[in-house]
Amino acid sequence: MARSANVTRRGFITSVMAFAGSVMGVVVGLPVIGYLISPALNAKKSDAWIPAGKLDTYPLGVPTSFSFTRTQVNGWEKTVNSFSVYVLRDASNQVKVFSSICTHLGCRVSFHKSSEEYICPCHDAHFNINGGVVSGPPPRPLNQYESKVDNGNLMIHVIEA
Amino acid sequence: MISKRMFPWLDERLGISGIYKTIFDRMVPKVNWWFTLGSATLFLFALQVVTGIMLSVYYVPSPDKAYDSIQYIMNGVAFGWLIRGIHHWGATLMVITVFLHMLRVFFYAAYKYPREITWTTGVLLLLATLGMGFTGYLLPWDQKAYWATTVGTSIAGAVPGIGDFILRALRGGNDLSGVTLARFFSAHIWMFPLIIIALIGVHLYLVIRIGISSIPKENE
Amino acid sequence: MNDVQKVQYKERYLRAKRNGEKFFPESLYRDMLVMFAIFLLLVGLSIFIGVAAEPKADPSDTTYIPRPEWYFLFLFEMLKFFPGSLEWVGTTIIPGAAVIALLLLPFYDKNPARHWKKRKFAIGFMSVVVVAMVFLTIQAAVTTPPQKNASAVAATLPAQITAGQDTYSVQCAECHGPDGGGGVIKGVKGLEGFKMKAINGQDEMYTRTDNTLYNIVEYGQPDLGMPPFGKAFGGELSRSDIDNLVTYMRYSWDNRVQMPKEAAQANAIPVLGPKDIPSYSVNIAPIVKRYCVSCHRPGKENNNYLMGGYNDVMNSGDHKPNVVAGDLNSNLIRMIHGEKITAGGAMPPTKSLSPDLIAIFERWVKAGAPEKPAK
Repeated sequence: MARSANVTRRGFITSVMAFAGSVMGVVVGLPVIGYLISPALNAKKSDAWIPAGKLDTYPLGVPTSFSFTRTQVNGWEKTVNSFSVYVLRDASNQVKVFSSICTHLGCRVSFHKSSEEYICPCHDAHFNINGGVVSGPPPRPLNQYESKVDNGNLMIHVIEA
Repeated sequence: MISKRMFPWLDERLGISGIYKTIFDRMVPKVNWWFTLGSATLFLFALQVVTGIMLSVYYVPSPDKAYDSIQYIMNGVAFGWLIRGIHHWGATLMVITVFLHMLRVFFYAAYKYPREITWTTGVLLLLATLGMGFTGYLLPWDQKAYWATTVGTSIAGAVPGIGDFILRALRGGNDLSGVTLARFFSAHIWMFPLIIIALIGVHLYLVIRIGISSIPKENE
Repeated sequence: MNDVQKVQYKERYLRAKRNGEKFFPESLYRDMLVMFAIFLLLVGLSIFIGVAAEPKADPSDTTYIPRPEWYFLFLFEMLKFFPGSLEWVGTTIIPGAAVIALLLLPFYDKNPARHWKKRKFAIGFMSVVVVAMVFLTIQAAVTTPPQKNASAVAATLPAQITAGQDTYSVQCAECHGPDGGGGVIKGVKGLEGFKMKAINGQDEMYTRTDNTLYNIVEYGQPDLGMPPFGKAFGGELSRSDIDNLVTYMRYSWDNRVQMPKEAAQANAIPVLGPKDIPSYSVNIAPIVKRYCVSCHRPGKENNNYLMGGYNDVMNSGDHKPNVVAGDLNSNLIRMIHGEKITAGGAMPPTKSLSPDLIAIFERWVKAGAPEKPAK
């Protein structure tokens, strides 16, 4: 009898300890996980129309580089991201805006007038004047930005995810 | 069950049951609730280590960014307020438990033969805890922190003769600056914790080797 | 302690151990319960009290009253009892002696007795020390003077922008206009008639970093007529204030940065529906804060007409009352319509209010100029 009472007491004590331990583990552990992954969950999308100057100033049929910066708040810091795009205007005032970031590994492409191609210096990728892949490793054409013309001013739609 | 077969294999190599016997399965004198203060302090220290490591994930020890990064922890990061709250209040409670623990040992005369070294390491642990409190207080780089540390370091500067030197050594220059913040940060997250962990090691080794004291009887 | 006593002690201790309990689970169980209680206390303190927000460290703020962490307060208080020439006794000798006394305690306390009845001196001495420490701590806590001009801390970005706009409206609007648009300055000593350029355009925002803006506000540009605003240079703004101000300017005027929605809502002047009855606290105060208070506060040229609160708006000024409930011919209404009367000229002097804001004022006066919205 005494022995079995002893066993129950021991069982009771250990289960109380296990309970207290797991409560503390959960109350600290779960918030810690949330705390660590929180910036990944809170990353905000931003979306803006960037003025890129008078449309008339962009030459016909020649991709022209335009750069701008966007500021985002990451935690306690304002981060300034630089963007560089190529603006291509054709005779009917249709505009295409290409990102200068190579779709392969993110190097910057530049337009070479002699061959009428965008060339990426990293792995010698070539894109044609409309962004399509000519040769090299890129999986898809250059990314394009949406654009519109407002009062003669070119506006570029930038979405940062 | 695999664990039934795994355990003897592991035990043969790791000596788990030996550790269990010496640490957990030992006899201790019947004592009262005041004797829980030591393990309460150890528990608080462990909690401070965990929450402290978590805070260092976002904290930046620079005068420009320290305050902003803590604002971010408090308002931008999920549960940041909880982690910092536990760290803040844990520090306060730890000072209380360390101090009460020392009083308990004193009033029960537990520092006497054969536990003299346990006592000495305990006093050093008390001092290191106060050092943690002092260095940690500056890290938020807010008004309270800045001015309390200005005054606190000036107190050290009042030592006759070498006061100015101590003051400059503490602050890393004549003024409280980014250098002070960096060295307090280093002391708070590296130097004092390592000292404390080493001392806790000795302290606990002695507690287990000699055993906790019993409550003195009238004829002792 | 001689060898006989040592052997005796060991025997007694062995007996106590034999009559004792197992460390696991009995002893550890008590430990665990205390730990759990402490843990609940900590989580409770974090949830219900939290960590008080403090303004950012400001070395130029000479009014701040420094206090050490509470567990050093007894030392801090003790120093009051030492005259300057003996300060080193309080700062060095006493704490140093206490530490050494504690460290070496087992080596000079040769009394072999352990029960408190045979250690009356040691117990008594320690008790006195502890009581003294507690007493000094309480005394220090009680005599701590309250912190002067402890400003609220804006912690989140929207709160900082709002705080920045409030600062802007008070400190900057009289010269730079309510929204940074500039204009001809009127009613400011030394700058009467100066044509202030706009500071809210790309020219300013793209070419000045936050640091530059901060420095312009803190140090001023005395050659251009702008006084310094930093506390260290005689202004009224602390570092946090200027930080918030710069944040407000950046988020409101720089079109490369997106204003958070919460901030835009908090700063907007409440829209008044066609059937709503305007009240001072909801509708008028936000307008007054942004367009009037910059000049209509103490220490400015304003014929003593202060607009800090409802009573002042109704009853202060050399030409009071400037607002009469139900009377559209009261001074304030005539002046915001641009009339020149004995009480003064058009208000605001730089640029008149937009018609919908004037309409809100008129409807408020017609409704009897109530302070609080009717329920």
